[in-house]
Amino acid sequence: MKNRLLKWIAGPAAAAVIVTATPASAQTTYNIASLADFTGPYADIMKDLVGARRAAIDWWNDEVGKGLGIRIGIKDYDCRYDAAQTASLWPGIKAELNPVVILGVGGPDVAALQGRLPADKVPMFMSTGSYGYVWKPDPWVFNPRPTYGHEASAFYEWFRGARGIKGPLKVAIISSEASPAYVDIAKGSEKFAKDNPDKAEIVETIYTEVQPTDLTTQVGRLIRKGVQVINIQTNTAAVVATRRALQALGKTDIPIMMSSHNGLIASGKAIGGMKDLEGDYEVYGMAVPTDQKSRAHDFQQMLVAKYKSQANWTLASIQGFNQALVALRAIEAAARKVGADKVTGEAVRNALLATPLTSEQTFGILPNLTYTNEAPFPVSGLTVNVATIKDGKYVIAGENAPVPVINKW
Amino acid sequence: MIDFLNYLINGSLVGLLYALIAMGFIVIYRASKVFNFAQGELVVFGGFIVWWMVIETGLPLVVALPLAMLLSALFGLIIERIFFSRLVGESAFAMVMVTIGLLILIRGLILVMFGPQVRPFPVIFSLKPVIIGDVLIPRSLLVGAVITVVVGLGLSWFFNNTRAGLKMTAVAEDHQVALSMGISVKRSIAFAWALGAVLSTLGAIIYLSGKSLNFLASDIGLAALPVALLAGFESIAGVLLAGLIVGAIQGLVTAYVDPVVGGAVGSVFPFVIMLVILFIRPTGMFGWRTIERV
Repeated sequence: MKNRLLKWIAGPAAAAVIVTATPASAQTTYNIASLADFTGPYADIMKDLVGARRAAIDWWNDEVGKGLGIRIGIKDYDCRYDAAQTASLWPGIKAELNPVVILGVGGPDVAALQGRLPADKVPMFMSTGSYGYVWKPDPWVFNPRPTYGHEASAFYEWFRGARGIKGPLKVAIISSEASPAYVDIAKGSEKFAKDNPDKAEIVETIYTEVQPTDLTTQVGRLIRKGVQVINIQTNTAAVVATRRALQALGKTDIPIMMSSHNGLIASGKAIGGMKDLEGDYEVYGMAVPTDQKSRAHDFQQMLVAKYKSQANWTLASIQGFNQALVALRAIEAAARKVGADKVTGEAVRNALLATPLTSEQTFGILPNLTYTNEAPFPVSGLTVNVATIKDGKYVIAGENAPVPVINKW
Repeated sequence: MIDFLNYLINGSLVGLLYALIAMGFIVIYRASKVFNFAQGELVVFGGFIVWWMVIETGLPLVVALPLAMLLSALFGLIIERIFFSRLVGESAFAMVMVTIGLLILIRGLILVMFGPQVRPFPVIFSLKPVIIGDVLIPRSLLVGAVITVVVGLGLSWFFNNTRAGLKMTAVAEDHQVALSMGISVKRSIAFAWALGAVLSTLGAIIYLSGKSLNFLASDIGLAALPVALLAGFESIAGVLLAGLIVGAIQGLVTAYVDPVVGGAVGSVFPFVIMLVILFIRPTGMFGWRTIERV
């Protein structure tokens, strides 16, 4: 009788223990939609960018997610850097994957989804600089970097300091009207110069084709206007055409400033060697993929060694890391706030806006980030890094240069 | 004044480069009545062949460039054999649709064969400009202009004075009539595609010398369109004059209007010219006026 009573009590008790113990040990799986461009203009860098995203997620699942009871799944979608493709794929992605986060590639993804995401309650994380035309409150698309205009302006200030230039820096911008993003990039620099005439003067903004036929005439005009730096944040073709024009005119001491998507390595490959870009610069608000030892580089190497990461140490992989790490840290913060089994896209967004992200949390890939509801990027406290080609080598020229305040344009 | 001269000369030389590309349009149109939407892609394909020969295989220019021309001609022949030889006698609309498909196909082929990376195009012409007083002329454009004029006049002579050229002109008039006269329409069209592909590769060499190569280079096909339209789709010598006009206007607009309005009016202006031509004189300056008797 006693045994039967014990069994009668012990059975449900054991079951209760199992039931209560189960949620703590089981993992809740959330998905990330990884938008990619495997067949469009950025197909050549996609292996590193997507590889970095996946490696960061493998690391997070293993070293952070396990403790939280969360596992992150990821699936790639080829959006071809085409807004129409992204827009047409999105309903299917939502139905198939039910993602809590999207990782985007560039402007077309933003153009296709920024209007839908507030209703769908899914935040999208980018890896690029931001744009003036998306600088609006209540964002659902987030950039870890300020606008390209901000990054360029930070460079102007850094360059004036490095060269000891007292008056305004004479800048020329070579851009293209092929994309609204390219025009916006120029407008950002123009706004900084307009508001800070003592710091920068835009001697001319030249809008040309995306693959310029010849820029000798235009560059000759800039030289006569006393240009000190040429800003090209569009593509490598424009960098090559401008450098060739400068070489033709015998003025190789005027530096070109580039961004991450058309940086020194990419432009060096396009022109046929780094020696042609001696003394040129690239600037952006994230780590620089030189061979020099850094926390970010250590992180990448750890991922290669421990998680069999396929991502090489390139700008594309740094971009993949930056967006994946911001997204993962936001999921982490959301899980701590609402519970591991209650994470939604909206909770991730709220957590991102409420939780400052330190540079340590991104292994030095990004500076400290504090998002607000005012803009898709942190509006203050950001810094940029500057790289250059010195004696034929790709090296860091400046670190943590502060990003100046620019009014909206 | 010197600035004006610089802009005028450079613009005219760029216009002659457009004229060379436009010749590719015209040669194919004359033989097959097909407006080839994939002309820009032929330029890119030719460019990739040159890049592959010179940079990848390391062949000297004197060997690589003729070989690249030969391969381009072969590519043109393959295109004709696979697609257009089957369409003889079909409507021009059907052929034009095939060229749109060809555009997509060539892009895919380039992606598969050469990869998506931006490639450095070899320096074919010295980067040092030709300096005459205060006038500064890019050497590649100057040499390119000479080549364009020679090729243009040569092709014009060929089409108007040789038996083969006149046969091709007859084919351009009407496929059925040409066939009834014993002219091989297929052979004429095949020759036109081979020639069109070679002209595109020549254009790529002048256009891309010392620059970078990727899909964006196909935009020059579009830029050359107003030149072909201004000349009229049948006139090869006329395309030289049209190139000079479009290029000079574009150069001056880029120099004097762009800085004022803060935009690339110079890039758009040739298309304004194109629309005006289509309104006023759809056959262009030297195009054939077809009289149809019902």
